Amino acid sequence: MEAEQSVLDSLRKAVEAMPEDVPLRTHLATMLMSAGLRDEAVRQVGAILQRDPGNAAALALLTNQQHAPGRDQGLQPPPADQPPPADQPPPQDGPASQPDQAPGHDGAPRRPGDQLDSSFDWSKAESEVSNLLPPMFVTEGTPDADDDDDPAARAFDVEQSGLRLADVAGMVEVKQRLEAAFLAPMRNPELRRLYGKSLRGGLLMYGPPGCGKTFIARAVAGELGARFMSVSFADIIDMFVGQSERNLHELFGVARRNAPCVLFLDEVDALGQKRTQLRNTPMRSAVNQLLLELDDISSSNEGVFLLAATNHPWDVDSALRRPGRFDRTLLVLPPDEPAREAVFRHHLRQRPVAGIDLARLARQTDGYSGADIAHICETAAERALLDSVRLGSPRMIGQPDLEASVGEVRPSLGPWFETARNVALFANEGGAYDDLAAYLRKRRML
Amino acid sequence: MTEVARDLARARAMLGIKRYHEAAGLLSRLVAAEPTDSQAWCLLAQAHLGAGRHEEAAAAANRAVSLAPEDNWPHRLASATMLRLGNIPEAVRAAGEACRLAPHQWLCHLSLAQAALAQRNLIIAGQAAANARMLAPSEPEAHVISGKVSFACGDRAAARAFQEHALALSPTHSDALNELGRIELRTSGSAQAARHFVQAARAAPEVSVYRQNVQVVVRRVVTRVIYFTSIATFAFLYVTAANHPARVVVVIGLGTVALVSGVIAAVQLRRMPPEIRPLFRTRRVMGALAVAYAPILFAVLAAAVVPDFILPAVLLTAAAAMIAVRFAANAMLR
Repeated sequence: MEAEQSVLDSLRKAVEAMPEDVPLRTHLATMLMSAGLRDEAVRQVGAILQRDPGNAAALALLTNQQHAPGRDQGLQPPPADQPPPADQPPPQDGPASQPDQAPGHDGAPRRPGDQLDSSFDWSKAESEVSNLLPPMFVTEGTPDADDDDDPAARAFDVEQSGLRLADVAGMVEVKQRLEAAFLAPMRNPELRRLYGKSLRGGLLMYGPPGCGKTFIARAVAGELGARFMSVSFADIIDMFVGQSERNLHELFGVARRNAPCVLFLDEVDALGQKRTQLRNTPMRSAVNQLLLELDDISSSNEGVFLLAATNHPWDVDSALRRPGRFDRTLLVLPPDEPAREAVFRHHLRQRPVAGIDLARLARQTDGYSGADIAHICETAAERALLDSVRLGSPRMIGQPDLEASVGEVRPSLGPWFETARNVALFANEGGAYDDLAAYLRKRRML
Repeated sequence: MTEVARDLARARAMLGIKRYHEAAGLLSRLVAAEPTDSQAWCLLAQAHLGAGRHEEAAAAANRAVSLAPEDNWPHRLASATMLRLGNIPEAVRAAGEACRLAPHQWLCHLSLAQAALAQRNLIIAGQAAANARMLAPSEPEAHVISGKVSFACGDRAAARAFQEHALALSPTHSDALNELGRIELRTSGSAQAARHFVQAARAAPEVSVYRQNVQVVVRRVVTRVIYFTSIATFAFLYVTAANHPARVVVVIGLGTVALVSGVIAAVQLRRMPPEIRPLFRTRRVMGALAVAYAPILFAVLAAAVVPDFILPAVLLTAAAAMIAVRFAANAMLR
């Protein structure tokens, strides 16, 4: 029991440290459920569903919880105005669903005699969830209709980005620099040839976490009409558990076969960390392999555009930033006022809100990242939800909820700017971080 | 490769690139599934240590010790966590146990040297550092700890030699650069020390202590400069205002002192690395100097107008000047 408690404590700390890690939170919820801590488990499930509304595991947990014996009554909403008819049997304890009973929309199993809602479009619902859940049965040798011919492409998720730079609200300076440094030469091959401008090298975006670097990368792919291949930190780690060099070679091979393609290396500091910091780790040889692949891309491959993002450009091996590799950098700063307004709009879009002054909120959140704003919206929703539970009737999320949340949620970028300040002061060799230094001076942080 | 082995390899890779939070998340799941895997608990302790969660790191390390008491790694981790938590005797005991279990493992001796140094037990620290150096002569950490112990013993020449050796093995070793800065501060002077601290901050910008060391050095130089010039100016003005009989000689003498101190100050500041310039709030310099000089002007006025109260005025002025100079130095620096 004590061991279980310590495991739960560890998991809670881990979830606190990484609130966006849905699998971890799911695991915690499962553990809490099996430990009988249902209230806390339900809270965790709620948090999972806020981040990933279609999460099948969370929905299953919720269904199990609702029908588990001895369910804690503490967090249940008060009874509705109309009590259930006395002749109806109480909900049965036991498994969440029976094989022959389709669950109702509230997750409760249907009982014989219940009327099916004829207006519900089952085929549409199936198509909506078809990509969330794998098929129940597969026939050996029958390929998935969506599968590409290239098995490696399936492993690395090649997609077509529908985003454009116009979809990125605000951030005018970033867009202008992106246009000048990257997009204009790509879009004008004739002029490029006339001026002898080569397509060698990629663009490294850097800036504080949660400020839209990945979003911008997708928009760039959309602008170029190219396919988009994103390699995240988790993919990178998986690559190094096994045959890292071969995996890396395969990744670049897939990008070449899918040209025109934007190959986006997210958190590139994980993949290309300074080799002096990688003593005795398997990642060291991978940096060399990455350098080889980059040189190969720049010398012989048309149509593979390299983008990378990092929160810690100072940890990226300097060899990766030499001409012909990631030789152009772009600082992506915390969202400006129009961008913050758009982020608020996005996160409140599917929530019950009333009387929200977005411009005022955007003014109040100067220095907050996009992720911080998402957290503010979540905190406001939580306040409204708890109030609704307390009052017994749902209420809308209002401006006071959001403003109170702004007061509660502190900007998370402080530690990043502390390090950035040191970099701008002491490591700005060759003016590599002049734009960062200029921003810090403008904000009186330097 | 089993799924557990794969997760452990993933966690090691994450730790290798300093992704401590992500590693802790993965390992928390892993220890929940495999609660008797001591390697997983050790890695979890390491992840928590890296993330600065020392209490959790200690809990994980203790769990690993209970699962694998004959393995030196959990004991080393326990020592490191105890050291962070300020439980120095326990840190020394755990590191000693690790050395007993694996006397040929240099990392055990490194742990013991670090813990014993924190305890100011310089004999044990020196022996352990020497053992670490002997077992791993190509590891910069072994030389850095030897340098730290030598510095604590007052042997600055040996300390400098050890740190320079560490830097020969790893030229951007931030800890060695920082230690060299500390040594220079006691021997060569502020400019050289500031240069090393700046190099350390450049090598590891995420470590705030290196920047703080730069600021300490700069503040020291600035304070010294203001003291020198204030004292010379005060004496000069006093003698002039009080109509002293040997006025001409004293004025020339003090004028020379003021000039020389000014030149020394200028040279000292000029020798400082250029990276420190942004640390000065140039717009506030004049205001800060005006504040520093205000008590001096007050004293001169007191001496000229009310000669009987000259002694109390001087004492008051001296006290006020001390405070004002500190304030001025702080105001001038970021």
